[in-house]
Formats: sequence, C-alpha cells, structure tokens
Amino acid sequence: MGLIARALELDGVATTLTSWNAGVTRLTMPPRATFTRLARGATLGRPGDAAQQLRVLEATLALLAQDAPVVPVSLDEHVDP
Amino acid sequence: MEIFEDRANWAATFRIGWLAHYQRTGETDFKQYNRPKNNTAPAGSGVDLRRSRLVLISSAGGYIPATQAPFDAPNPLGDYSIRLLPVTTPLAAIAYAHDHYDHAAVIADPQVLLPLEHLAALEHNGTIGELASNVISFMGYQPDVGRVIDELIPAIYRAVQAEEAQAALLVPS
Repeated sequence: MGLIARALELDGVATTLTSWNAGVTRLTMPPRATFTRLARGATLGRPGDAAQQLRVLEATLALLAQDAPVVPVSLDEHVDP
Repeated sequence: MEIFEDRANWAATFRIGWLAHYQRTGETDFKQYNRPKNNTAPAGSGVDLRRSRLVLISSAGGYIPATQAPFDAPNPLGDYSIRLLPVTTPLAAIAYAHDHYDHAAVIADPQVLLPLEHLAALEHNGTIGELASNVISFMGYQPDVGRVIDELIPAIYRAVQAEEAQAALLVPS
C-alpha cells in the first residue's frame, strides 16, 4: 500500500493510509500514515466495535489536511478492549 | 522522486532469491524475500476533505460474486488486477478472495476492512465532501514489486483518474 500511496501522491492525489504493520509499511515511506496495534484482517478495529473503527478512520483521514510528507502517527488502538 | 527508489537492485535480488527458489521448488520462502524500502517520502499538498472527493482503495480482495470473477487468491505469484465495487453495494453482497489473512473478522463485520457505511456517514455529516462512486479493490498478495509498479499501480491510477478523486484512503488487510 505504501508504494501505491507514493505513486498517487506523486501524481497529485493526496493519500493517507492506516496499517497494523508499522514495520513493513514504514519501510516504503508513504506520504501520510497512521499505525496501530490492531490485527491482520481487522485493520480498522475490532469486529463490532464501530467506535474504534471510526476513531482510526477519522485520525487517518485527518492527516489529509497536512502537506506531505507527514511523520507517521501512532494511534493507541489495540486488539484487546 | 521514484515510486520505488531501488527497483533495479530489488528486482535482481528477487530474481536470484525468492523467485529462483520458487521456480526450483514450487515453494514460497519469505525468509528470502527482500521487502521494498525507500529513503524519502514524497511531498504533496494537503486537501480540505470537506471539499474533496475521496476514493477508498482496499487490498482485502473484495469482489462481487454475482457479477465479478474472484481474484486468483491461491496463485503463489499473486494477482495484480483490480475490481471496482460501487460504494452503494450492500456489504453482504461482497465476498473476499485472499488467502493470506483470516477472514473471520471481515465476515463478522466487513467494516473492519471495507468501511463503506462509516464513510457514507462521514459524507453525510460533511466530514467528507463526496465519496467516489467506486471502491478500488485488489488482492494484496503480490510478491513481485515490479508487477505492482507496471500492472497494478497503472490500473489503480486510471481508476482514480476516472473517479476524479482528489484524495485517497488506502486500507490494507
């Protein structure tokens, strides 16, 4: 996803992403990103936890207001409640 | 600024390492896989999301079984194609062809990967100016970064242009 974000940003589309896999995603140097401690297969939050999913979404979308590159933001979002 | 700063060296190590091992044994060995790395993030202007069209890009392998072929999920070399999912598609009408994550969560609650209802609510309350008509969907198992750059990214780029989106949200699986 980081390479796709870079490609679109270079073509003038503002991009943002969120990832539970900060180690791999950070290597690609995306323009804007949030990192969580959520799980593979549940990137935005726990199933049924709409509040958590919205927190992750809104924090990730908020980065679009900033010019890139943006220092990645670590969110305090975990698999366990 | 390149999408991938060290593509030539990466391709060489991929060919003689991961790909050669696969061609010799028929097995994938990610201990031999060299993750793509860059040194610098690209610059770009921010946008006012309240006045922008946002496109969702998902690597969860989502497709619509009633009208679309699934991704080639079992292929050890990956699938570099895309599907377009209208944002009005009921979540229950979407299936997932992707063999590299546990589907339990997305089956229990599709919005953990494909937040169509959340994004519609954010559009309704004005946080997002407008949602693009389609989600750009692909299956995020693609070991050959050269094919990502030469096949997948151009297809995504064309789809983003067709949607006339000024902003993109990327949600990996």
